[in-house]
Amino acid sequence: MKLTVENLSLGYSGRTVVKDVSLAIDAGEMVAIVGPNGSGKSTLLRGMSRLLKPESGRVLLAETDIRHMGAREVARQLAVLPQAPDAGSDLTVRELVWRGRYPHQGILQRATKADYEAVHWAMHGADVADFAERPLAELSGGERQRAWIALALAQQPRVFLLDEPTSFLDIAHQVEVMHLLRRLNHEGMTVVAVLHDLVLAGRHADRVIAIRDGQVEFDGPPREVFEPRALERVFNVPMMVIQDPETGLPIPLPRPDPRFCPVAHAPATDEPGK
Amino acid sequence: MTGMAAHSSADPGAFARRRALKAGSRPLAVVALAVAALFGLGFLSLMYGAVTLSPGEAWSGLTSDSNVFARNVVWQIRYPRLLDGMIVGAALAVSGTLLQGVTRNPLADPTILGITAAAGLASATVIVIDPQVPQWGIVLACVVGGLVGAGVLFVIAWRGVVSPVRLALAGVALSAFFGAVIVALLSSSRTFLQTSLGFLAGGLYGSEWRDFQAAAPYVVPGLIGAVLLSGRLNVLALGDEVAAGLGVLTDRTRLLILAVCGVLTAVAVSIAGLVSFVGLVCPHLARYTVGADNRYLVPVSALYGALLITAADLTARLVIAPSEIPMGIFTAAVGAPFLLYLVKFKG
Repeated sequence: MKLTVENLSLGYSGRTVVKDVSLAIDAGEMVAIVGPNGSGKSTLLRGMSRLLKPESGRVLLAETDIRHMGAREVARQLAVLPQAPDAGSDLTVRELVWRGRYPHQGILQRATKADYEAVHWAMHGADVADFAERPLAELSGGERQRAWIALALAQQPRVFLLDEPTSFLDIAHQVEVMHLLRRLNHEGMTVVAVLHDLVLAGRHADRVIAIRDGQVEFDGPPREVFEPRALERVFNVPMMVIQDPETGLPIPLPRPDPRFCPVAHAPATDEPGK
Repeated sequence: MTGMAAHSSADPGAFARRRALKAGSRPLAVVALAVAALFGLGFLSLMYGAVTLSPGEAWSGLTSDSNVFARNVVWQIRYPRLLDGMIVGAALAVSGTLLQGVTRNPLADPTILGITAAAGLASATVIVIDPQVPQWGIVLACVVGGLVGAGVLFVIAWRGVVSPVRLALAGVALSAFFGAVIVALLSSSRTFLQTSLGFLAGGLYGSEWRDFQAAAPYVVPGLIGAVLLSGRLNVLALGDEVAAGLGVLTDRTRLLILAVCGVLTAVAVSIAGLVSFVGLVCPHLARYTVGADNRYLVPVSALYGALLITAADLTARLVIAPSEIPMGIFTAAVGAPFLLYLVKFKG
């Protein structure tokens, strides 16, 4: 399902954070949004998911302005996973995932076969079925993140927005989450994730959108847009891009400053430090 | 959506359904036990008081006119008082459940958040102004006071998004302020000691059918509202952003829930005065027995509230019979240590 952002401006109590952004995200794309802290990428995600009311502009889901749709109607098609969500209770994974059925259920309506199937699919899709009866508090960071993803999957969304789904996770769990998102994407889901990790963005996203000062700085496939100059403009730090020897995909890295590197491991290449 | 759910096997839900059924039978058992206990305790509270009736006398007093004395004791005094107590307990416990859910704070309860005191202030004001005010007037005043208390709480705690911490802090301040004004009001009125002690500590002394009749039009819709909102409260408990992402209009829902809390608390105050801790203890007991799902928590904590008040009132009548002490002292005696326990281990 296509998600279109038209001249969107939004912010908090008078302070505009996202300024006149227009984007078209096609059905089935896997998009990473990158940018420095405070650049407005999380705010943009909130605007795209109806969590924050635009100051101007609009967001279209398929062809309809999400402001003209009911909140539950939007939630049946678009799921959003905020940064570091907290259930704040001793909820089990199964109880958490069941709450993802809320937008599909009527008041006092009994659970239907479709609800059970969706929960089953979500728990297997996010690979949390093995610890479904355990409380969230007892899970590792990676397991807990997968449980929250399962909650969103229980909504059966066609568009899935995530805000920094890999933060606070170790490398193995980061990879696990990205593979899960990629798998969902292969099954037809449109995935848009705010990512801090440029390596993950370059490796798993079809398209990277860089935000700086609330505006789109660059937008395109990582092979084309991950270019040191462009990255330096966005992140305000000397950057370099190396090539993944296995896939040929770009790996952006901050340029090392030899003054802050261990002496014993001085650069082995003959490339001068500029 | 289409292709994604479709790949599941023939009946993938079967296992999940069995598990859910197993988990779902527990609340039913808890409800059945609580109802049985309520009937038992209720019957005991028809028997005991200033005069003791035998089980046979209490039963005939309840069901026939054969024993005029028993009939009078049961129908004029104990039965309405029992029902009044059940309303008070259920209303406070449900109010506490909703408040703990909406603030995501295990220490929340109508007393701690100041709603009890707001309703009590309204009640004390009309009683001091007109000691002859009819019961429906007191209930109305309490409801207005309770809604204002809940509304002030919401407005003060508001800053774009209502944070649970701010809500709780505002409640503590409001509670202290309204409480002080109530005491000031009551001490300046002539009837201070007699009625006011029962009001301040919370008690069912002298409660009658008219209390029940005046409360019913508020408590019934209040409890129904609580049941209807419990599903949304489940989602709200996941945090504002997740809840909004699932299609809950968070601030509107919070306002609705606070309004229901205001009404339910007000009804309890109109009958029994400032009963404390019922709204704190019962939701925790309910959570301990049936888990975190508010759709079970609301009815189960209502039953626990009714049980707690019935037990407290029976104790209050028996300790120094034929005289009695305010029932609220016993809910506080159970509740205060429980609060300390929560602060130490859960807060």
